[in-house]
Amino acid sequence: MNKIKVSHLNFYYGAARALSDISIQVQSHKITALIGPSGCGKSTFLRCLNRMNDTIEGTRIEGQILLDGEDIYAPTVDVVELRQRVGLVFQKPNPFPQSIFDNVAFGPRVLGLHHHRNLDEIVTESLQRAGLWDEVQDHLQEPALGLSLGQQQRLCIARTLAVEPEVILMDEPCSALDPIATLKIEALMQHLKTDYTIIIVTHNMQQAARASDLTGFFWLGELVEFDETEKIFTLPAQSLTEEYVRGRVG
Amino acid sequence: MLKTRGRLDQELAQIQEEILRLGDMVEQAIQQSIQALKKRDVALARQIIHQDQDINALRYTIEEQCLTVIATQQPVAIDLRTIIAAIHIVTEMERMADHAAGIAQLAIRMADEPLLKPLLDVPRMANIACEMLHASLDAFLARDPDAARAVADRDDEIDQLDDQVFRELLTYMLQDPRSINRATFLLWVAHNLERIGDRVTNVSERVVFMITGKLEELDDRDSRYENGASF
Repeated sequence: MNKIKVSHLNFYYGAARALSDISIQVQSHKITALIGPSGCGKSTFLRCLNRMNDTIEGTRIEGQILLDGEDIYAPTVDVVELRQRVGLVFQKPNPFPQSIFDNVAFGPRVLGLHHHRNLDEIVTESLQRAGLWDEVQDHLQEPALGLSLGQQQRLCIARTLAVEPEVILMDEPCSALDPIATLKIEALMQHLKTDYTIIIVTHNMQQAARASDLTGFFWLGELVEFDETEKIFTLPAQSLTEEYVRGRVG
Repeated sequence: MLKTRGRLDQELAQIQEEILRLGDMVEQAIQQSIQALKKRDVALARQIIHQDQDINALRYTIEEQCLTVIATQQPVAIDLRTIIAAIHIVTEMERMADHAAGIAQLAIRMADEPLLKPLLDVPRMANIACEMLHASLDAFLARDPDAARAVADRDDEIDQLDDQVFRELLTYMLQDPRSINRATFLLWVAHNLERIGDRVTNVSERVVFMITGKLEELDDRDSRYENGASF
């Protein structure tokens, strides 16, 4: 089933076109990886999916993005609600300078979710889902910045999960992490995909090969190829994709 | 311009070179085994059997190189298929050499008696097998799937000669039961060569797979069975 359907998307930073005619269907409960060299448009594309690019002045978008069949750029759409449904995890772990508990509780408090559910319960469940609970359950009131980078990133994932999203966007979530912390995030992604739809931008081709179900290859603002990950890394249809995954261009 | 995968390319080139060296050794073993048989040269036959250990050792060396490249260079797509194909190809070639050593063993067993008949078809089979092996490795180097398929087609020539040898030796055995021993040994020689032909076909299949990513059956053995031509 398709969670997100993108049709003929063009994106401009001022006069410069950063994305050209992107059409892609993102499947529910799958991990979709976006690969490509720096500046190819993959992060720009990711940020179109929860309208994070709206915050950058002079940007313009053409085409259509449907989330569960609804146009996310329609004038009636509440952007805050959209970003709650489509969460974003950044490249560098960015916990707030607050306690572990308050970091996770931040979103539910802002959105008023704690009026419907017990906040402790939300925080506990989010930390458990993010695979961090066992490590922090006795230190919930300690500063989040005291955690290791890998733990901080899982805390940011817990913070995203706390607002009950449907789609999780990850922009290079492991690039600041050591290999073991990276593998923990990848294991977490596998665990989370049962309940969420995950899209990850990564520079690490091995990570895309290891962790994703589908892979899209971006090059100079275009989506060159989108297929099952297995196919992209064994027998891609486009020679440019093959050259890139083999490390010959880029 | 800086080559991004210089080390991987270098290691793949090295594996390729070693495969060619193994191919030369195997080809030589096949030809020498027929020489030993023809000349009833026991010393040469023993030498072939002894040299089989070098072939085995080189096969393992290449296999280890392949594993190291996989572990350290993370090859994908055609680079990965080249390595997987290389592992299969060296295994097939090592087994071809075992067949050559088998012929050398038979040459030793047949050395005390005169040959039943002048050897014509058997050396022909060996020549075709060596030409096929050579051509399949050329196709590997050139990454030419059509050339690899053409090699596999030639296996029919070996199979036909094998049938011919079988029928001829059957006649000898029927005419003179005392020839059964020597005829049987020669049948085994032909069978070893027939198996070498099949293994070259396997090499060709791997070459096609390396280039196209598709596993194709190039052996039409099944149709041979259907025609009842041989076993």
